[in-house]
Amino acid sequence: MDLADRIERFRETLEEWLRGLYHGMITHPAYEKIEKEAEDIEDVFLLACFPDAFGIPSPVSYYTAELLPYLETEFEAWERRLWDRDMLIERKGQQYHF
Amino acid sequence: MEPFVFFGGKGGVGKTTVSCAYGLRCARDGLRTLVVSTDPAHSVTDVFDQPFDDDPTPVEGVDGLEAMQLDPEEEVTRHLDDIRRDLSEQVSAAMVNEINRQLEMAHGTPGAYESALFDRFIEVMRNSEGYDRVVFDTAPSGSTLRLLGLPELLEGWIDRLMYKRRTSIDLFEKAAIGNNEPRRVMDGDPVLARLQERKEFFRFAGDTLGDDAAFFLVLNPDELSLNETKRSIADLEAKDLPVRGLVANKLTPKPDDDENGRGARYLRERVDTERAHLETIRETFGPPLVAEIGWRTAEVKGSLLEDVAGELDIETAVEPPTHV
Repeated sequence: MDLADRIERFRETLEEWLRGLYHGMITHPAYEKIEKEAEDIEDVFLLACFPDAFGIPSPVSYYTAELLPYLETEFEAWERRLWDRDMLIERKGQQYHF
Repeated sequence: MEPFVFFGGKGGVGKTTVSCAYGLRCARDGLRTLVVSTDPAHSVTDVFDQPFDDDPTPVEGVDGLEAMQLDPEEEVTRHLDDIRRDLSEQVSAAMVNEINRQLEMAHGTPGAYESALFDRFIEVMRNSEGYDRVVFDTAPSGSTLRLLGLPELLEGWIDRLMYKRRTSIDLFEKAAIGNNEPRRVMDGDPVLARLQERKEFFRFAGDTLGDDAAFFLVLNPDELSLNETKRSIADLEAKDLPVRGLVANKLTPKPDDDENGRGARYLRERVDTERAHLETIRETFGPPLVAEIGWRTAEVKGSLLEDVAGELDIETAVEPPTHV
């Protein structure tokens, strides 16, 4: 193995590490943040569709019930998130990596 | 006049009789007419002496007249069953129970009956090519008529739901890294498609009710009925659905002048009070009084219905619908 090969290998490793660090520190949290935001908006959507799940009668529940067959995964995740969630601040806090 | 005619009013004032009489009149004038009733008491059956269900059935002895009776309870059950069928096709067995609970809750909320009736009304209007005129005998609660004023509000609601759904899908798509499949995709999203369908339905309802429907209120010459009618007029007007006319039903007959027994005195006093009420209607209510129908001693059906039809001063000439 001559010097040129060793430099080449070193550069490859360094690039992989840098890319990993960049993804872990910058991109991944950003994508995660976007995904969390998407989930939050989905929660609002589901709450607007089914407020009677919380005892608030709604004139549109009769119509939004038609969506239920297509909202299986959303509905399940929604319920799970609501059970897990203690407070809004905590949820928002999860989105930051200190 | 508009192809769709609605009769509303307090319970027991004779909406069904007036609707049937008007339907009969339209049919006699050569229009293909359909009478749609939502009366849970099935009074159309009594008026025409013939059973009806939720398919239009020709009325015996009258050419060009058909009638149907909608049962809100049945409509709600049907809606529920439709969704359940979709549910069993789409949803895994483990989740069905969970979602079923939500579904039953949605159909138990106050207003489900009204929503079901509203749906059917609009459905009937949408499929009315076979008729020149459709006469709606609305359920004896103010809520049916109130619901007719809602399409705009519901449309706005659906709009907001669609906006939220779109935003969240958009973010999910953006959150998918590289070649990863996003959690939700905008293209062919069944929820958005459903909402769009509903939105168009409400749009059609709003347009049709605004441009192709005429509203009449039936009332009796007593104070309760007058007050309720006044409220209904204001309600409908606030929703841009002006009341075209008022029909006064069940007026007391005037006794002959030479009669002076207790019965005659009673009738005379009643006639005086009623006349005062009618006067109030003429002077202070916006919509004109288009018919004054007297009390009949027998049930209004058969030839009596023809009499009543003759007393209705509501034109029958029809304009083609603009939105169907």
